[in-house]
Amino acid sequence: MSQKTTVRPVDARPGRDRVRRETSEARLAFWLLLPAALLLCGVLLFPMLTTFRDSFFFNKLTEPYNGQPFVGLKNYVQMFGDPRFGQAMRNTLFFAILTVGGSFLVGIPMALAAHTPSRIRGLARVALLLPWAMPPVMTGLIFAWLFNAQYGVFNDFLVRLGIVQEPLRWLSTPGLAVLAMVVTIVWKTSSFVALIVLGGLQGIPRELTEASEVDGATRVQSFFRVILPLLAPSLAVAFIFRAISAVQVFDIPYTFIQQAPAQGLLETLGVYIYRTSIEFLDFGYAATLSVALFAVSLAVTAVYVRFVRDGAST
Amino acid sequence: MTAEQAAPERLSPGDRVGRVLGLSALIVGGFFPLVWMILTSLKTEAELQKFPVQYLPGALDFANYTRVFTEQPFARFFFNSLTVSLLSTLLCIAVAVPAAYALARLQVWGRGALLTAVVAFSMFPVVSLLVPLFRLFRGADLLNSYPALILPYAALSLPVAILTLVAFFSAIPRDLEAAAMVDGTSRVGALWRVVLPLSAPGVVTAALLIFVNSWNEFLLALSFNTKLDMRTVSVGVTLYQGEFAFPWPLIAAAVVIATIPVVALIAIFQRRFVAGLTAGGVKA
Repeated sequence: MSQKTTVRPVDARPGRDRVRRETSEARLAFWLLLPAALLLCGVLLFPMLTTFRDSFFFNKLTEPYNGQPFVGLKNYVQMFGDPRFGQAMRNTLFFAILTVGGSFLVGIPMALAAHTPSRIRGLARVALLLPWAMPPVMTGLIFAWLFNAQYGVFNDFLVRLGIVQEPLRWLSTPGLAVLAMVVTIVWKTSSFVALIVLGGLQGIPRELTEASEVDGATRVQSFFRVILPLLAPSLAVAFIFRAISAVQVFDIPYTFIQQAPAQGLLETLGVYIYRTSIEFLDFGYAATLSVALFAVSLAVTAVYVRFVRDGAST
Repeated sequence: MTAEQAAPERLSPGDRVGRVLGLSALIVGGFFPLVWMILTSLKTEAELQKFPVQYLPGALDFANYTRVFTEQPFARFFFNSLTVSLLSTLLCIAVAVPAAYALARLQVWGRGALLTAVVAFSMFPVVSLLVPLFRLFRGADLLNSYPALILPYAALSLPVAILTLVAFFSAIPRDLEAAAMVDGTSRVGALWRVVLPLSAPGVVTAALLIFVNSWNEFLLALSFNTKLDMRTVSVGVTLYQGEFAFPWPLIAAAVVIATIPVVALIAIFQRRFVAGLTAGGVKA
């Protein structure tokens, strides 16, 4: 743009000038991108590649006498025969399905409530952001307390309302512990869905819903026929990011497991990897489990990339 | 933010009831767990061990809050978290702004591929980075230091920061920069004097995202900084539990203190933040 105003010698060819401008621009872009590339490659990409390499080696700190030999696919063979891995993978996918679904069921009404104009809109926005901003470990601790068998307030509600006779042993009954953890994760993550949906809602011109109501549609009809289709791109973005964070979930299961005797059903892949590396000091096998988790994340990412590409082309 | 200035609506009584119910559910649901933690933190052990539950504390007793600081070096945890979160936010913004500007404005070869790569980086499971980063930092003698957390926190938030800032930079008219450059500023000068001030809301949004992510991070803090006086608050709150005992009023007080910075930030910036996040339409 600037070259339009520079005085060019009469015999200069405009083409060469453009080429020169583009090379200098490319050089500037390189220097601007370099720090980000270094940080991403040094702290994320290089360690990730190390993990891939490690997954083919035996490396257990508790057996130093065995050294760190190359074992090929042995760790992978071990993984597919490992019932604890199978259980952790099933738990992870089960929690992912329930908590992603749950966060949409709660998040969309949250966004609709926060979208309505009102005098306490600021307070509503804080209520919407709070679960998202709360540290996940604290969320885990708070809900473990709310679900406490003896003094938990949830049991108190249930007993006072006459729904149950005796306080429930939430965290030590396997099925109830799973339910408690799903409730906790849904509380924590619905915010995120609500934020993205709120963004989508703010992009929908008011006239559209008004027009459909003038045409005789009820509120519910205009929500399902007009608003929901227009929200599709936001919902897709929210879905993908929720799905990825759901399969990687660590902090909340980790805090719950500290308090729950019913552990087996709460162990996600992330927690199993943490324990394999930090508690059993089995770095080689932990790397193999990490590759499995990465593969699951990648499968979700592939869906995302396809979505972005399709979205960009239309 | 058209809805913000929307004209007052004519609402049917049914709509009005629905609106009140929806908003109340949102506010009660969002605040209840934290409010319950505050109430718990003000109770004594004896008040706690009652069932049916005693809802309000008998007296306003802040003893648990002083115990938080005497039983563990919690002030030190707090200082550590603040230092690590602020410095990782600064580092991440300093690196993300130039990168996002290049991606939004300059003729970059393979721009689409680079953006896809940035997205792909945000998919790496943190737990997979644990062992290699641990060995890297042990080799560099960085365990139990601030950089051991600042570097990964800045890197982990970088994809989100870049995507948010690209969205903001792209929304600024190119003519404004062109005008500044005609007036004799360099491209970098135009970024600094024209683009950056105009995209301040985007920078604030990105900075908040990074700060909250860093403040809340648990796994790497738990594993890399194991010396007591290098702990962060997210790990610190888990240190009050004894082998058999769970001193809930004390833990509640610690959780409340540890949550104050993020609650304060979202209360102050909620309006700009929601607008910024939704404009970026990005992972939070």
